[in-house]
This record gives sequence, C-alpha cells and structure tokens, in this order.
Amino acid sequence: MAKVTVNDRTIEVPNGTSAMDAIFHAGYDVPLFCAERYLSPVGACRMCLVKTGAPRKGPDGSFILDENGQPKIFWAPKLAASCVTAVTDGMAIDTLSDEVKHAQSGMVELTLFNHPLDCPTCDKGGACELQDRSYEYGLVEKFYQPGELELPLYTRYEMTRRHVDKHHTLSEFITLDRERCIHCKRCIRYFEEVPGDKVLDFIERGVHTFINTEEIEGHQTTLPSNFSGNITDICPVGALLDRTARFRGRNWEYDSVATTSMDDASGSGIIADTRSGFLERIRAQERREVNEAWISDAARFGHDWVNEGRVTRPLVRRDGRLVEVTWEEAQAAIKAGLAGVPQTRIGIYLPGGATLEEGLAAVELAQTLGTPHRDFQGRTETPATAFLAASFDELLDAQFVLVLGDPSEETPIVHLRLSELTRGLKPASKLSHGTPIADLNIKENVPRDRSKLALFSPYPAQLAKWAGASGTHRPGQEAALLAALLGQGEAPAGLEEALEWARKRLAESQKSVLILGANVLNAPEAATKAKQLAEKTGAKVLCLTPAANARGLEALGLYPAKGGAAWTEAGPQAVYYGYAPTEEQLKSAQFRILHLTHRNALTDRYADVILPNQTPYEKRGQTVNLEGRVLPLEPVSIDNGEADGAVAALAVLAEAIGVKPPVRLVRQATKLLAEKWKLPALMGRWNIKPASFQPSVSSPQPSTPVYLRPTMWRREQLTGAVAKVVRVALEASPEVARAHGLIDGATVELETPAGREKVTVKLVQGLPSGAMYLPALGPWVGRSLEARILVGGEA
Amino acid sequence: MGFFDDKQDWLAETFAQYPERRAALMPMLRRVQQDEGWVSPERQEEIGQILGLTATEVAGVMSFYSYYQALPTGKYHLQVCATLSCAIGGADELWDELVNELQILRGDVTDDGLFSIQKVECLGSCHTAPVIQVNDEPYVECVTKARLQALLEGLRQGKKLEEIQLPGKVGHVVHNRGDEVQA
Repeated sequence: MAKVTVNDRTIEVPNGTSAMDAIFHAGYDVPLFCAERYLSPVGACRMCLVKTGAPRKGPDGSFILDENGQPKIFWAPKLAASCVTAVTDGMAIDTLSDEVKHAQSGMVELTLFNHPLDCPTCDKGGACELQDRSYEYGLVEKFYQPGELELPLYTRYEMTRRHVDKHHTLSEFITLDRERCIHCKRCIRYFEEVPGDKVLDFIERGVHTFINTEEIEGHQTTLPSNFSGNITDICPVGALLDRTARFRGRNWEYDSVATTSMDDASGSGIIADTRSGFLERIRAQERREVNEAWISDAARFGHDWVNEGRVTRPLVRRDGRLVEVTWEEAQAAIKAGLAGVPQTRIGIYLPGGATLEEGLAAVELAQTLGTPHRDFQGRTETPATAFLAASFDELLDAQFVLVLGDPSEETPIVHLRLSELTRGLKPASKLSHGTPIADLNIKENVPRDRSKLALFSPYPAQLAKWAGASGTHRPGQEAALLAALLGQGEAPAGLEEALEWARKRLAESQKSVLILGANVLNAPEAATKAKQLAEKTGAKVLCLTPAANARGLEALGLYPAKGGAAWTEAGPQAVYYGYAPTEEQLKSAQFRILHLTHRNALTDRYADVILPNQTPYEKRGQTVNLEGRVLPLEPVSIDNGEADGAVAALAVLAEAIGVKPPVRLVRQATKLLAEKWKLPALMGRWNIKPASFQPSVSSPQPSTPVYLRPTMWRREQLTGAVAKVVRVALEASPEVARAHGLIDGATVELETPAGREKVTVKLVQGLPSGAMYLPALGPWVGRSLEARILVGGEA
Repeated sequence: MGFFDDKQDWLAETFAQYPERRAALMPMLRRVQQDEGWVSPERQEEIGQILGLTATEVAGVMSFYSYYQALPTGKYHLQVCATLSCAIGGADELWDELVNELQILRGDVTDDGLFSIQKVECLGSCHTAPVIQVNDEPYVECVTKARLQALLEGLRQGKKLEEIQLPGKVGHVVHNRGDEVQA
C-alpha cells in the first residue's frame, strides 16, 4: 500500500494505482477524456494534468525534512498526466492550485479549437463528457480576462475551424462525425484490447487525423465485430453515435431503466432508454462481475422489434376470425375451449427468456394440474444444471480453458472474458469510486497467451485466433472428440495433434474450465462424455445455452415429467405457449392458447386464443445467467397495451380450468422463491445441485446434415438496420455445394423448424465437408436437420 | 502473384532484425514503394496477411507517413512543403503554379506519366523556403516561378536533377547545406 496525499487528504491505495485513481479515491475530481475503465491508460488527451511531488532522501539515507520536521515534498518541475503516473509512497498530488487549473483550462481550450459547437443537434448533448468538462474546467475567468472591465475570452483561436466529414456511415449501426472527434483513442484501444478485432485505427496525422476502418466496395465501410456498439458508449463526445437510436430523443427526455438483457445467457446489464412508450436506445450497464461495461451488438441494436406490430389486446377466434376482446372474455373463451380436456393433457410451454417467477408459476400450475407436459423453449437435450457452473472470476483464474462451440456467437460476453484470459488480466480491484478509471495493469498490444485456450467447433470460429490448438469438425463428431480427450478412442482425422495438446494441457492444469456450446448440450452422448471429462479433471463448466434463463428454469423443474412432451415435440391436447411454436405442434393440438408479443401468419391460422405478452424488457422479476448468478429484471415503460406476463396469464388459465392459481402475482412468486427455493439475494450465485440426467441415445445423424449454427441475432430482431446486416444464407463448402448441385447465389427453399424458408446459397471456403450451415436465429441452435432442399427460384 | 512471394530471403532477414513481427511493417512498405512507386490496396492486404495485421492497421501506419503513397505516382513525384516557413515563403502560390502548369491535382498523374504532386509537412529546410523535393532526391530550394519552370523543363528533357541549371543567385540544387545558400 502507498500513502498518498491529495491536496489536504491523506489516503492509502495499493501500489501501482494511478495518480488519477488516487485522486478519485480521495474524493477529488480531475478532468479526463482518454482514460476509461477496463482500457489501458495512454495519456493521449493531456486533460488530467496535475502537480505531483515526492519526498526525497538525503545522502545519509533519511528523508530531507522541512522546517516543521516533516519530510519535504519536492515538486516535479512540470505537470504530469495523472492517468499514466503511478503513485509512490509518500507522494503528494495537487489538483487545486492555479498552475494546475490554468493548464487544464488551456487543454480544454485546445480541445475546443476545432470542435464544432453543434451541441443543439448532437445526440450526445446533455450526456457529453466534453460539455461537462468544458463547463467545469474550461473557462477560469482570471486567466482569460484581458482587463478588469473586459469580458473573459472563451478562446484565443481566431482562424476558421477545421471542417471535415460529418455523418460518415461507419457501419449500419454506427455513424461517425469526424469534426467532433477529439482523438482520445478510446475506440481504437477498445477494439484492440477488448474484443481483439483491430478494425479501427487512426489514419493520417496531426490536425488531419481521423479514425477509419477497412473500406469495402467504394467508400462503404463496415465494422466486422460482434461488439462494435460499445464504442458509442465510451466516446466522450458525439463522434460515434448509435444509428438505431439517432435523433430519437434528447438525453434528458429518456426514461432510463437498468435491467438485464435476455438476448443471451450471459445476463449482461443494460440500460434501456424509452421515450413516450417506445424503446429507443439500449446502452451497457456496468456489471463488474458479468459483462464489465460491454454488451454485444445483438443486445444493443436488436431492440426495434419491441416497438413494432405488438399484440396489445387479447384475441379470440369467433366464426373463424380472430377478434379483439377483453381479458375476461378471453378467459371465458379458454374455459369453453378447455371443457372436457383432462387436466393432465394440458401443456404449458414458456419462452427461454422467461423469468424465475414465471417459471415458478408454470411449474406450480403444472403440478397442481398433474400434467407432465411442461417445458421451456430452447431447453437443451442435456440440462445445463447437470454441470457445476464456473463463474467469470473463476474463468479468469483458470490455467486452461477448453471450448467446444462458438462463444462469440452463442454467448458473446464469454468471448470478451476469454479475451481477458489470454491477456492475463485479473478482475479489476475496487476503489471508493468503483472500478479504476486508469488501471495501469492494463497495457496496449499485449501478446495473447495461447497456452490457455483450446477451441473445437463445427465451423471456423473467431476465437480460434487466440487458441493454442484449434480445429473444426463435422457436426456430430463432438462425442468422438471428447472420447479422444478422455483417452477412450481415436481422435477424428486431422485433429490428432490439436486434441493431444489439449489433453496434455487439461491434465497438467490445476484449474480448468470447460465451455460447452449448444452443439454438445444437444448431443446426449457428447454431453455424457463432457460430464465425465469435467469430473475427471475437476473442471467447472460454462454452458452456452440458447435459452437465456435455462439454468434457472431447469433448477425450478420446468422440464417434461415422464411421458410429457418436450418443447420440440407435439403431444398435449390443449396447449399454452408463451411463444410461437412450430406448425406441427399447433396442428396436433385441439385447443391452442398463444401468449405472444407478435403475431405471424402461422399463429393467425391456428390460434384459438391469443393473449398479449410482455417482452423481457417489460418484465419484473429475476433471472439466472450461465454462471448461476441471480440477476434482476426491471420493467421498462414500453407501450404494450394490455400485455401481461406469464404469471398473470397462467393465473387466468388456472381460473378458467377451475383450479386455484398457485401464484397470482409476481411479488408473491418472488417471495416464494426466496422462502421455499432459498434463492440468494441479487448478484449472488444460486448453488444449484448438479442434476442427474439419463444419457439418452443420440438420434442418428442425418446423412448430409444442415447444421443450425449459432448467431447472436434472433429471428424477431431482424427488422430495420439489423435486417440489412444479418443475411440468412445456406453456407456450404464448394465441394458440398457441388455434390448437391447448389450454385453460389442461388435461391433455395428449405424446411426448417421455423417453417419453410427461402435462403440464398453462399459458398464458403474452409467449412468442413459433409455438412451445410444455416443460421439458427433462435432456440433450435446446435441441432442438425436432414437437408430437405427444394431447389427453386432463380439461380 | 504476391509481391513478396519471391523475396522470402529478404523477408526472413528483415524479420530477424526486430523483436516483433509487426515491426517489419515499415521496411516492407518501403520496399514496395521503392519498387512500384506506390502501395496499392492489394499490396497493403498482402502485407497485412503476412504480418497478421488488419488492413486498417496497415492503412493507419501508411497514412501517418507522407512518404508512403496510397495512390499511383508519376516518374517524378513533386513534394511541396506547405508548413509554416514555406507557406509564408509562397508555397501556396507555388502549388497553384504547379497545378496550372501540369493540369493535375493531388492523386493524379500527368498523361505522360512523368509528374505527380503532393503537399507535405515540414521538410526541415525552413531557411531556404519554399522547398520542393523530387522523389528521394536532395531538395530544390528557394523555388521561384522561374526556377520551377526550369526544373520541370529539365525533368521533361530527362536530365538528372543535379544536371539541371536553375536560374537565380542561390545554388541550383543544394544538398541540404544552408551555408551555400546564405553566401
């Protein structure tokens, strides 16, 4: 620990802390633009200049004392940038003297030379760091007042401002205003350090410097990263802006709610900004334990669907047509429809993003009815709760991590945490102001430690770039791969060396973590072997489940009992679905209650009753992420008419059947979870006992499977800008395409669980032969279909 | 075919000089520039692939140095210093003169393939402003209209730079020696 005196306060901070963090820790302020939490400090903006000094030892080895007998402080001759200055024991920092104030106001003046003052039309206005710092530190009258009777000068710059490219479309999601850029380098450092995609850099130099990315076709640019949106959060000015939220409202008009993203199983913290009942913008919320300060592009940009085409009132089928009714009338219709249906033949199915409260309501109701037909969408063949979950802190502490799957697409936050692992970072320490703003442990351009990671996936995955050994395999070969790692069988051809390396690393590592993708969890044989491997090596496991709350819903028991139909099957006589199921499932039931946020052609054709549902943004409740951490969901004020969550809908259903609803209110369910289920407080980790599971027999692999490959995007998100970016294509290696008579760019029709789909064929070099790939865009990820391609349309 | 395909020995030698592979970016860019006169996007891509850098990073380094050309250049690439001393000494007028005379702008090459022009930052010869540098050759200093005309004429005739007689008191081509100029 180092003792530091900041102005008049003496504090103790760990050695290696930056002077900037010491100042904040002491409760003083210092202006900054380029330093940012979780990024390396570089001292680019020179805004945080402070005066530093230290005691000095004389020739006799003792401190030189001043007239009061205290160690004399020798002040440095020049001011120092506090973000890149490490504290030393006995250091003194001065942030309040005229010298410091003068330097800081001079830096603001310099930064503002070429900055366009278009704050009234700038989306960052009101939430802009440059605005704030200019007000606080910019003009110190006494330095800029030429005479006593004259007004102070705001700037001494008399030439015209530099004018460069405005509203440059960096990608479909991000716009760049080069005039506003103050060259803090936060976005460039972010891309290099955090996701590891070096897609942005300074071009030119001096006053001409601007940021740019690779140009494709003419002057069009794109940011090929799953995490590009975070640069709009960290930009201290309005240079990088979120295009999906541009000009939707002023910062002070938004209602901001901190909640949890249900887009993947990571449980990332988000801040949802709404205005007049519309969800306009999503920003990252700092959640140190989970997503730090970053979220994926899917969680950030995929929100427009919430505002469009919602089901706002219950609908009931009368004379073959769906008509809007009240909830009471809908309940009467359900009562009539369920007359004569045995209680044990009613199915209850929730979406994968259901809260624990909703899960509890479903489980309790299913038990009351005695029905085995209960499940949630996206449940994997092998439950995630069969494995002992690792936490992200344990992941950073691991000596070796074996990945089977593609975290970058399945649960993108895991990609960022693995990036930290390969950079050798430990969880950030906490000071009185929170996460250190200028953490000197973080460096630029750190070589990645490849000995910590091995990755095997059914197609080339991004993370392979940091893996010491990696390989692609045919979908369905996971079990053979794991058998080789266990030493039980021959390694698949071509992977012998990589698997041998991984096996050796696993054996010699004390602390290791397994990361299992949906492809393993959906292959029972592979999952059984993965469990053996975890038990043999003592490794903890992160399961990349397609359902956001899979761990929690499984722990509550929301899976089919003996004889019950799973979410992939048809079966019950009457059904309640919290999502739009497949046509086959709809067809086979006699009475269908659909609790939906959006209608589609299929639901309009088959539904007997449609109830308006809430999106995960509108729910109150709790969820459990892949680490088993309990996280809060807070309702965001989105205009959804009479929509209500599954707790209310299931209570309506129970009353229609004629039983007392076990749970009627969300609050009641929350209480029950705490008391009966011993759910820990928020942010705590739910100690779920590993579930035993019966290793079922794997269904035979299709001869030429179409593998439903993971993407971070979901089908419902494909509106607006997202629809322009996410192209659904049937990918195949040239050999496979030739064997099936497919031409690059041809349109084919395909039978998928989500219905018939028209997709274009895309030839991709380097894909394993023997399989084709289709983005799953939802809960069916990690499964293989028999390729039933109906060639049609134009080539 | 890639530029470096038949230069594997040179590459190995260059990599051996640096602790990190990416440090070889500068000599590689220089090699391409010297041989081809500019670094085309294809060459940037190739260098990026060899060094494991993205095209953006290569472009970032390239654009930092005005020496590297991202656009094709003529046989004589005329670099006009436009920083303070030369600007005061008439660099802007010199630039206009060049544009008028050659009928090209930055990024163009004259039809005969001889000339291309560029404004550059300080060449470090402020006492002999304004200054023009032709390719990698020594500076042409204290450039006036007449001296510029003579320079272009000489180059068109295929003379070597040191053979060209420039009018005026000061030495025609001074090898960065301020004392001769002041004399």
